[in-house]
Amino acid sequence: MSQNDMNRIAIRLVEQARKSGAIDADALAVNDIGESISIRNGQVESVEREDSQGIGLRAFVETDEGLAFASASSSDLSDNGIKALTEQVIAMAKISAADPNAMPPSGAEHPSDSELAEWKNSHPLNESWTLEAAREAALACEEEALEYSDQIQNSEGSDAGFGSTHVVYASADGFCGQYQKSSLGLSVSVIAGSGGNMQRDYAYSRVRDPEKLKSPELIGREAAERAINRLGSKSIDTRQTTVIFEPRMATSILGHLIGAINGRSVLQQRSFLADADDKLIFPDFFQLADDPNHPDGLGNRLFDGEGSRCKPHTIIESGRLTGFLTDRYAAARLHCKPTGHARRGLTGDTSIGTSNLILQPGEVTPEAILHEIGDGLLVTEMMGSGVNGVTGDYSRGAAGFLIENGKISHPVNEITIAGNLKEMFANISHLGSDLTWFGSTAVPSIAISDMTIAGQS
Amino acid sequence: MTLAGTDERLHPMTQTDLPVAQETLSQMMDSMVPAGADDADLYLEQGTSESLALEEGRVKHVSATAHQGIGARVIKGEVSGHAYTDRLESPALMDCARAARAIAESGNRDHSVSIHSDQPQHQLYQSANPALTVSMPERKALLEKLDRLARSIDPRVKQVFANVSASFSSIHLIRMDGSHLHDARPLVRLNISVVVEQNNKRETGSAGGGGRFDLTHLLQGDEAVRLTHEAVRLALLNLDAIAAPAGPMPVVLGPGWPGVLLHEAIGHGLEGDFNRKGSSAFSGRMGERVAAPGVTVVDDGSILERRGSLNMDDEGTPTRCTTLIEDGILTGYMQDRQNARLMGVEPTGNGRRESYAHPVLPRMTNTFMLAGNDDPKEIIKSLDRGLYAVNFGGGQVDITSGKFVFTTSEAYLVENGEIKAPVKGATLIGNGPDVMTRVSMIGNDLKLDPGVGTCGKAGQSVPVGVGQPTLRIDEMVVGGTEA
Repeated sequence: MSQNDMNRIAIRLVEQARKSGAIDADALAVNDIGESISIRNGQVESVEREDSQGIGLRAFVETDEGLAFASASSSDLSDNGIKALTEQVIAMAKISAADPNAMPPSGAEHPSDSELAEWKNSHPLNESWTLEAAREAALACEEEALEYSDQIQNSEGSDAGFGSTHVVYASADGFCGQYQKSSLGLSVSVIAGSGGNMQRDYAYSRVRDPEKLKSPELIGREAAERAINRLGSKSIDTRQTTVIFEPRMATSILGHLIGAINGRSVLQQRSFLADADDKLIFPDFFQLADDPNHPDGLGNRLFDGEGSRCKPHTIIESGRLTGFLTDRYAAARLHCKPTGHARRGLTGDTSIGTSNLILQPGEVTPEAILHEIGDGLLVTEMMGSGVNGVTGDYSRGAAGFLIENGKISHPVNEITIAGNLKEMFANISHLGSDLTWFGSTAVPSIAISDMTIAGQS
Repeated sequence: MTLAGTDERLHPMTQTDLPVAQETLSQMMDSMVPAGADDADLYLEQGTSESLALEEGRVKHVSATAHQGIGARVIKGEVSGHAYTDRLESPALMDCARAARAIAESGNRDHSVSIHSDQPQHQLYQSANPALTVSMPERKALLEKLDRLARSIDPRVKQVFANVSASFSSIHLIRMDGSHLHDARPLVRLNISVVVEQNNKRETGSAGGGGRFDLTHLLQGDEAVRLTHEAVRLALLNLDAIAAPAGPMPVVLGPGWPGVLLHEAIGHGLEGDFNRKGSSAFSGRMGERVAAPGVTVVDDGSILERRGSLNMDDEGTPTRCTTLIEDGILTGYMQDRQNARLMGVEPTGNGRRESYAHPVLPRMTNTFMLAGNDDPKEIIKSLDRGLYAVNFGGGQVDITSGKFVFTTSEAYLVENGEIKAPVKGATLIGNGPDVMTRVSMIGNDLKLDPGVGTCGKAGQSVPVGVGQPTLRIDEMVVGGTEA
């Protein structure tokens, strides 16, 4: 689908909806293409090619009790498909209940035409990777991991791929914006040991700019080292101690925070931070920002899910929550300014989400943190989803390394770590200097004191 | 297939006819299958899904999705090529076929296939869109009724969220030999969750149910009312929950949904791909004791109207009951066609894909443990000090190390055989190959879950079922905060 076709279809959907009785509407047209290859033990295992397109329409109608809306999506881009989708959405909107606080899309603060053009120039699509290059990279990556040591005895394979997404958004106030995104990725997963003593681990790199992709050798070595280091894992005694989350694991801590300061969750009283607006919830060295235009982030966006221009936003300032994250609906009901965090899929209402989250790193290396805390647990893997978003109660399976006298003592598994997120946030004792990007999140090691470890005895 | 009285505009896509000409499909098959291919198929899917959701007393969220597409797949030995497109017209279809065969250099087969109809063996569910019998306004009225009901049960109920969804998917599978199989799959689901508040303390509880049947089945009996009471009961119970204990202790698991234990602890580890590749903690252990005597676990995709059931799997193999563990001995793996062929065994009807746009993997259907002889009351009484866990959220497993977790949403401390205070949600962790050897009592009360399970593997989600009788496990690590 060409860009002109996509623009035309999105605008057409909005116009059709208006003609069929909608008082306001917005529409999306999305095109995803991609190719990927999986290799295992030096042989190609599968080759995959994706090519998909979709359209989504949200329409608002006037009822006796106020505005009501509905939404639907389809992959049928024909004239008949567009007509059927429009009629379906209007018919559903007439069934939907009115919301006195409904927030129709028109009137959002859109980016200007020059900003749209400038964005396109500064975000070129990367077309330099081919399936052949991906195959070479995957083979090199796995080979490095398998040959790293005799202890690496099996491979779960290496995957490499690339793809792009093209999104067009149109709303009834005449805005039609579009952006394209591309990324490429390389990963490998290997197994150390054998029989009843096997450990698996993985490493990966996913970036926009092929120049910034970690080398296949680096990724292969990292996966092998991680798997080998876990051999001989055992449980430890139940205890209270400091837990250090390596950057890969620390991303989930930010995820729990973002879920709890989501304006819609707050409105629904489904957040343990519903009363935390403008409160100190972290130590004063904790600074968290959302940056919608970062050279290393995969979450860049010029406008959000309702066409509002995105701006850099400080979420936590010296430990204090600056405010809840909002779309225009949540902002109106919470009596604050919208923060440009609307997200929207092809179907459904807007939801709330961030672009690129960046936690400001500390000044000490992870090794120095281990040295300072003396005894604790370094967590390198977590399992399960034992987090209650309403109360903040936290209990998850974990694996990692026991820290004794400031040094790694032995690998640990079959344990749980537990606490309450509100207390865990306040109990952050250190942030490492090891800021690392994972897609759209950049985070250093995080150390949290006084967590409960449950283990074998 | 439109019923009198429904608004046709609301359901633009409920057809089950083949959406692409047979001739085009046989051309695709001819151009994509190389000489010496072991397997190939075309998977055509058309699906719709409708959802109504209530919050703040209003059904404000009404949405629908429609999708269609084709997945083309070619397999040779351990190698597979897979391409998909949602443009059901040439030249996109022929491009798709050519991309799928990119794995093999060799020439084409010297014969072409003619497509002929075949029948799946089972008819386990209706082949009509389950959304057509209860109109959207009726569904809306029902959600509003449940909202009022929840608030009337207890004044501490502050928020009610309810949603009902109905989906329908029509699958046409064309196999390498030209056989054409069709399966039309209904799936419905109702979910209620509430937030309760007392002395500035909030808690939540939720309940749900569903399966491969008509919406009438879910909405017009007592089930919706029962689920609403259950969600309120769980939320209120959690208001009084004390901190969960931390450390190893005996655990009694209730019947039904706690069968998520089996799904995580052993189910994934017995999927064919992991065992062929030797990456599972159960690899090479066929015929060995992996569970206590009396423990028999099956995977059965052929149960009437269950969420995890299928008339045929996504490769056209009839679903069936496969015994995974018999009286404690490992007896079977779950297989798709590729892994079965490479391991020299029969496919078991476990080849599944989330959609036309995903590759086939060996997956579970409905996985459960058969009943034993113990009285559930006696099993609870046998605990001196331990945990009685009745309801769970999700779980996860590392199939290589065997470690697995699952998280309680309703659990109680038991002292001297008596159920005491409810405890907060806690994660239980164990080792798959060990945990089933620690089963010391098996109840006579086998129950399947209410139809809410979704299993994730390699980024693909598929609906599944679990079940078990009440079980005593002599030791598991409970991950609370009370050391």
